Amino acid sequence: MSRVVALTVFLGGWELASRARWLDPFLFPPPSGVAWVVYELVRSGQVWPHFRVTVTEALAGLVLGTGTGAVLGLVCAGFRPLAEVVEPAMALLNAIPRVILAPVFVIWLGIGMASKVALSFLLVMVVMFFATYTGIREVDGRLVERVRTLGGGRREVVREVYVPSVTAWVASGLKVAVGFAFTGAVVGEFVASSQGLGYLLSFAQSTYNASLTLALIALVVGVILLLFWGFGSLERWWLRWKPEYRSRRAHPQALPRTVRPAEQVP
Amino acid sequence: MSALRIRGLEVRYGSHRVLGGVDLELGEGEFLGLVGPSGCGKSTLLRCVAGLVQPESGHVEVFGNPVRGPCPEVGILFQDDALLPWRTARENVALPLRFRGASPREAQEQADRWLRRVGLEGFGDHYPSELSGGMRKRVALAQVLAVRPRLLLMDEPFASVDAIVRHVLEVDFCRLVAEAGTAVLLVTHDLEEAISLCDRVAVMSAGPGARIVAVYQIPFGRPRDPVAVRAENEFGPLVRAVWETLQVEVARMGWELSA
Repeated sequence: MSRVVALTVFLGGWELASRARWLDPFLFPPPSGVAWVVYELVRSGQVWPHFRVTVTEALAGLVLGTGTGAVLGLVCAGFRPLAEVVEPAMALLNAIPRVILAPVFVIWLGIGMASKVALSFLLVMVVMFFATYTGIREVDGRLVERVRTLGGGRREVVREVYVPSVTAWVASGLKVAVGFAFTGAVVGEFVASSQGLGYLLSFAQSTYNASLTLALIALVVGVILLLFWGFGSLERWWLRWKPEYRSRRAHPQALPRTVRPAEQVP
Repeated sequence: MSALRIRGLEVRYGSHRVLGGVDLELGEGEFLGLVGPSGCGKSTLLRCVAGLVQPESGHVEVFGNPVRGPCPEVGILFQDDALLPWRTARENVALPLRFRGASPREAQEQADRWLRRVGLEGFGDHYPSELSGGMRKRVALAQVLAVRPRLLLMDEPFASVDAIVRHVLEVDFCRLVAEAGTAVLLVTHDLEEAISLCDRVAVMSAGPGARIVAVYQIPFGRPRDPVAVRAENEFGPLVRAVWETLQVEVARMGWELSA
């Protein structure tokens, strides 16, 4: 509730300041003006081809990156010699701002969609690798023992313990990954492209069109928030056994919160 | 035939000799308490019987069969009620039944019956995080008893719940296990708990190379009320006798309270 109030005050204040010309409306167009531009962009249909391109790139990067990261994490967790090579490489990729590689991808893959998918893929893949890898390594040994002493074999241990605990990590990683997928696509378009929301953004910026710039940003943020909400609901449903997602009967006893992957640099 | 027969059991963790020749026998349907100083190897002994730890030498037989790994006749209840957090109470109880080939429906029905028996009717759909510590213990108990083990190994099973819940659990536990005629090996650091629940209490020496130093016969018959039995005349002197033996071992360990 307080967040809604804060947002209203912020936007209202901005609107007022801009209309009263305390702020230069050329640099700080009022929110209502920005909303009008968003409406015009959507209504005229101008934005759709670009929108489609960016979303396609981001989703392709998300799917490919999640798949590759998960498989790589799985294989590394099961095969130590490979982990000794891959893990430091991933840690390095995780530590550097990966978007720095965008120009290289443009040189290698051209200014089309491929270079953006590649960047998006790289961003997502590292997150999902660590989600899967740590997920498997952090499996609670007591649960494995429990399933074994209850008469479960190897297959039951995998099904009852490994799969659920890894999917819990992957589900938390997925939300971070959605943001990264769009970062990759938009930044890639920023660097060099002929279509996409990032391309429009860079065009708006170069013509000093603050209204259009803010409108495009609002559009991208809107899409990401929508996806966040979608994945958030999915996560809440999938991880409904976790105390922090508990919406039903409350009981004071709670398990310790699961550790989430550390903050990641795009 | 005895439920459990241990002869000359030795266990090493690397160069550390944990158990140095343990002999122990447990009759069918008998309750045996095992007490000893912290870190003496009680839990290791239990894990050996469960088939989770390989002994260096000596042998362990359960109902006449040498132990080679987790065995279906043996139920295990450890201190941490390691229920699967992503499974409801009902699914957790049904789990071992499913492992033994029961159909999903049959397993669910049995699980519900056991939840009712441990006093958790209506909590089948709750996840472990939605239950209190005492309730989780009950689910774990139902889970273990559901497959009707003939020998039950327990390691400080009631240690993490408060005294009142614990007494209630002890009373219910005695009733359930007596009905099933299960033999029980109970590891605990609580002398009074051991004496009030068991037919015999064995005292283990301080490690390294721990062994059994004394076994006390407990004169109270069964069925019994493990709380009421504490008011019997023989109870106090028994606690004292066991404690005097244990004290010698504790003194040998010094004041180090290792886990």
